[in-house]
Amino acid sequence: MSNLSARRAASIIGLVVGLALGLVYTWVIAPAELINTYPALLRTDYRWDWVRLVALSYVADGDLERAHARLDGLKQEDVTGAIQALIEEYAAAGHPADTLRRLTALAEALDVHTPAMLVYLHTPTASPPTLISTPSPTPTSTPDRTPTPYSLSPLSTPTPKPTRTPRPPTPTPLPPPPFQLIQQEQICEPGQTVRIEVVVQDEHGVGLAGVAVWLMWPGGADRAVTGLKPRDGAGHTDFNAEPGVSYALGIGELGMPLVTDLRIELCPAEKKEEEPQLGSWRIVLEQQSLETE
Amino acid sequence: MNKRARQWVIRVAVGAATGLALGLAIGWWLWPVQYTNTAPAALRQDYRDDYVVMVATDFEVEQNLEQARKRLKLLDPEEPTAPVVELAERLVEVGGDAEDIARLTYLAWALGATPPALAPYLEGLP
Repeated sequence: MSNLSARRAASIIGLVVGLALGLVYTWVIAPAELINTYPALLRTDYRWDWVRLVALSYVADGDLERAHARLDGLKQEDVTGAIQALIEEYAAAGHPADTLRRLTALAEALDVHTPAMLVYLHTPTASPPTLISTPSPTPTSTPDRTPTPYSLSPLSTPTPKPTRTPRPPTPTPLPPPPFQLIQQEQICEPGQTVRIEVVVQDEHGVGLAGVAVWLMWPGGADRAVTGLKPRDGAGHTDFNAEPGVSYALGIGELGMPLVTDLRIELCPAEKKEEEPQLGSWRIVLEQQSLETE
Repeated sequence: MNKRARQWVIRVAVGAATGLALGLAIGWWLWPVQYTNTAPAALRQDYRDDYVVMVATDFEVEQNLEQARKRLKLLDPEEPTAPVVELAERLVEVGGDAEDIARLTYLAWALGATPPALAPYLEGLP
């Protein structure tokens, strides 16, 4: 081996040994300390629990900005999965409608969708619940609790430049076919809960699932979606109703009602000695076929 | 040791020093150990605080003390109440959000720990 080769070999051997020692030290003996992590690095179950906590905190305080800040840096799939699971769990457990409305509002703001939330979308919500009273010496100033450097992962994405490619004219989509009332029947069954049943069907009489039905009354409205109780039929939904209120029924967005001045009335007594009872309503709405010219 | 051997040793030593420096730079700055699957205990202080506030708020909504205790044990397995009390006292000291303090105090109370400084925040509780 020549002198030059021996010198090079010595340098390379030294370099390799030093590098190996350095990496063993930094990766094994004294790695970067496991502190100061952030929610995105949590284990999957903890990440989902974090999202769940954010959502339930939103139920309590109604602070959307805070919820957004707390979710900053988390992957959308984690947010979606955890919130969908929470809404489905709460809907199945029969939690109060106001809680579900709040969760649904948060889900919508976060672009999360699940069939269980359809019923609670766009329905009036109550004001945020204040479950805990605060003490009399309430601090007047509310400075930041702690520094909140939630800027761990800049989420700003470059806005794509608008393209000006001329497009061929596209045909305007036809509006969905309108519905019309084809049957309004009073139901008189002993011991029944007074309600308004709605059946939405297509032109062939087949029940239509997933149709939003609005029940409106002076000063309020409720929304339900057909088909959520499969045993009652795909096109079925119902509302609780009270006597003395004039109801109107509509389909789709709040707008022109299909049925107006719907009132809970007494059923005709079959025998004179019988005490008359309140009757429910069964309303059948049928979709009209599209007439194309 | 003859001159040639000494030069060889020096070269090895210089190479090793350079390699070591390179290794440290790679291991600590350029390509450090990436941690995933961490637990809440490893969160940065502000996230830990937020976690504790959210646990207290969730307790207000769900009223599930065992669940709250289980979550707090992830921060302090020995004394799960400690992070709640410590944060509540800190917020009182700096004039933090009154609702957060009230929620933390309520949870601390439910867990059986209410320091005197937090007692005013228990007024009006059921």
